[in-house]
Amino acid sequence: MPPGSTARAAASVALDGEAREKTEDAPARSRRSAIGARHLDVIGISKSYKRLKVVDELNFRVAEGELVSLLGPSGCGKTTLLRLIAGLTEPDTGTVVIGGADVTHRPAHRRNVSVVFQNYALFPHLNVRDNVAFGLRARRVDRQKIRPMVDEALSLVRMSELADRSVAALSGGQQQRVAVARALVVEPNLLLLDEPFSALDRKLREAMQVELKSLLRQRGITAIFVTHDQEEALAVSNRIAVMNAGRIEQFAAPGEIYAAPASAFVLDFVGLSTRLNGTVLSVERQTAVVETRFGQLVAQPKAQIEPGTRVVLGVRPELMQRAPESIDRTATNSLTTRVADVMLLGSKTHVHGAAEGDDRVLCELSGPVETIELGAELELSWPVADTLIYEVAA
Amino acid sequence: MSVVSTRYEAPRAPWLDRFVLLAAPGLMYLALVFALPLALLLLKSFQNQDGAFSLAAYAEFFGDPYNLTVLWRTLRVALLTTLLALIIAYPTAFALARAQGLAQSLLLAAMILPLSVGVVVKAFAWSILFRSNGVLNDTLKWLGLIEKPIRMLFTETALIIGAANVFLPFMVLPIYAVIRQLDRSLPEAAASLGASPMFRFFRVTLPLTLPGVIAGSAFTFSLAISMYVIPSLIVGERQQTLSMLIARSYLFLRDDQLGSSISAILLAIAVAVVLGSSWLAGRVAGGRR
Ligand SMILES: Nc1ncnc2c1ncn2[C@@H]1O[C@H](COP(=O)(O)OP(=O)(O)O)[C@@H](O)[C@H]1O
Ligand SMILES: [Mg+2]
Repeated sequence: MPPGSTARAAASVALDGEAREKTEDAPARSRRSAIGARHLDVIGISKSYKRLKVVDELNFRVAEGELVSLLGPSGCGKTTLLRLIAGLTEPDTGTVVIGGADVTHRPAHRRNVSVVFQNYALFPHLNVRDNVAFGLRARRVDRQKIRPMVDEALSLVRMSELADRSVAALSGGQQQRVAVARALVVEPNLLLLDEPFSALDRKLREAMQVELKSLLRQRGITAIFVTHDQEEALAVSNRIAVMNAGRIEQFAAPGEIYAAPASAFVLDFVGLSTRLNGTVLSVERQTAVVETRFGQLVAQPKAQIEPGTRVVLGVRPELMQRAPESIDRTATNSLTTRVADVMLLGSKTHVHGAAEGDDRVLCELSGPVETIELGAELELSWPVADTLIYEVAA
Repeated sequence: MSVVSTRYEAPRAPWLDRFVLLAAPGLMYLALVFALPLALLLLKSFQNQDGAFSLAAYAEFFGDPYNLTVLWRTLRVALLTTLLALIIAYPTAFALARAQGLAQSLLLAAMILPLSVGVVVKAFAWSILFRSNGVLNDTLKWLGLIEKPIRMLFTETALIIGAANVFLPFMVLPIYAVIRQLDRSLPEAAASLGASPMFRFFRVTLPLTLPGVIAGSAFTFSLAISMYVIPSLIVGERQQTLSMLIARSYLFLRDDQLGSSISAILLAIAVAVVLGSSWLAGRVAGGRR
């Protein structure tokens, strides 16, 4: 985790509020059931451009009122998946079901799915108020009803004072709020947000994350939030779908994604880690001995694994420590490395060990530790049970 | 001039900006070849034979109902030409902007190549199409739609169709330029907000491409109102336009003052159209700031 800021702290508090979310308040629940089911099912959806399979046989389900993050590196197909759900792109195969209805061949304007675009896509010829009113006018909502609905949406995103401004005269954060208000005012079954905060500076981004999260929870809106920023995904969502090359590698709660990454890709992409390449020497009673550049280490693979298999070992940095005088070798791994860098991060210290190739050694010690010298030999240890092991695809 | 930027120091006299100097040759050329002769012509339209101030030429022009018929016809033809060109050009500009690779190059070439074929050549080519035993009449007869050939050549309709053809690129290109700049996620955003294709077109696409429509229309109208060769070749002397009246005044009547005053009237209309359209374009764009 990076240096903590107050906004970050607020975000984690919000994250801790998960419990509250599970026993959600009664009004939110009744409001939702009154409107009808708003869950999303994506079944076997694929999309190719030329030879490139951008979205590859994806399956997933988003429950009503859930805020799901779609996390993955740029170019992995997040935007394309969002467009498939919104009806802006036709899938090659597969089905999109919203609230129980198959909408695969329904055009975007009849899906009731709002999109907040990466560039916001505000209408430059309309002012703030008319941008927000656009969806209501398109739906032929009664003139008299539009005004109060727009006013409410604008006050929700705290933009009431700027209602008559031209959208070009707004800052990035303000434009972002207008885009959210415009998407929410039509009471969509599903809200899709495509990297909505990527253009904002860090402070504003963190504040907006907290705001958006509570706004969506308040209204019980089902939403998919696209991001390539793993911290943002961890901070914002109920569940995270980690995408890589058109596929979902893992779909789980943030805590699980961090503690038990399903693949080496997820280990690398979410959070920091020590990561060592190796080869399995022997397997005995679900304990694999792995030869690495740092000597033999032990892991407990969940699945069957053969000796000779090339693997990646992973450890979260806060699970490592400076090795005590005596170690129980059967339950503990250890390695000795030369200290390459020490980063004092206030409440914690990151110690980077010297490593070759794409090996990486990173240990997080709590508190500011100033007793470690660069270039010194350092022995680190961690429990065998916390050692993650992944087969390297041939 | 009050904003102090760290990157760019505003010159003390903004009208002497270095970049303005780049326009100097062009401005000088225009002054010499365009503005000066035009000013002399305007002056002439207010002078009688002896060089004294006189509105006689204007009085003569507006006093003759025939001239008013011609003026009205010129305006009508220009307006209809502009409309026809617009109807054809708008979808064409879209196709041009959305096409990719080779298709776009071909479309663009198809749009610009006809400019290199002189109007005279085109006009004679049309006569093959439009005349009584021309391709169009023969086809209609063969289809059994008509019994006797209909007169197409030497009619206002033929003139409008022909003129719209010649001026089409001047309508397409400004619209094309605007559509190319159009953010494609805007109609998509509209769709995701529940807007039908019609609603999207009239509330998003059309308003945002209006500056191109205005510019193209101003171009086309200005060209159509002052065209001389096309009407001379297609409709001839039977149905004169303002430009033909001007030519007649100078070449046959040798009445410089009348010619000048008609020219001044034509110029006034063109200037009004250009100023009006840029005002309109400014207003349309104004809501965007
Ligand atoms: N309309 C398109 N035509 C061709 N290729 C596309 C198109 N849209 C996306 N792609 C390609 O699909 C891949 C995934 O794109 P995208 O879904 O935008 O990724 P992400 O949003 O995760 O960054 C990229 O390689 C991109 O170049
Ligand atoms: Mg994207």
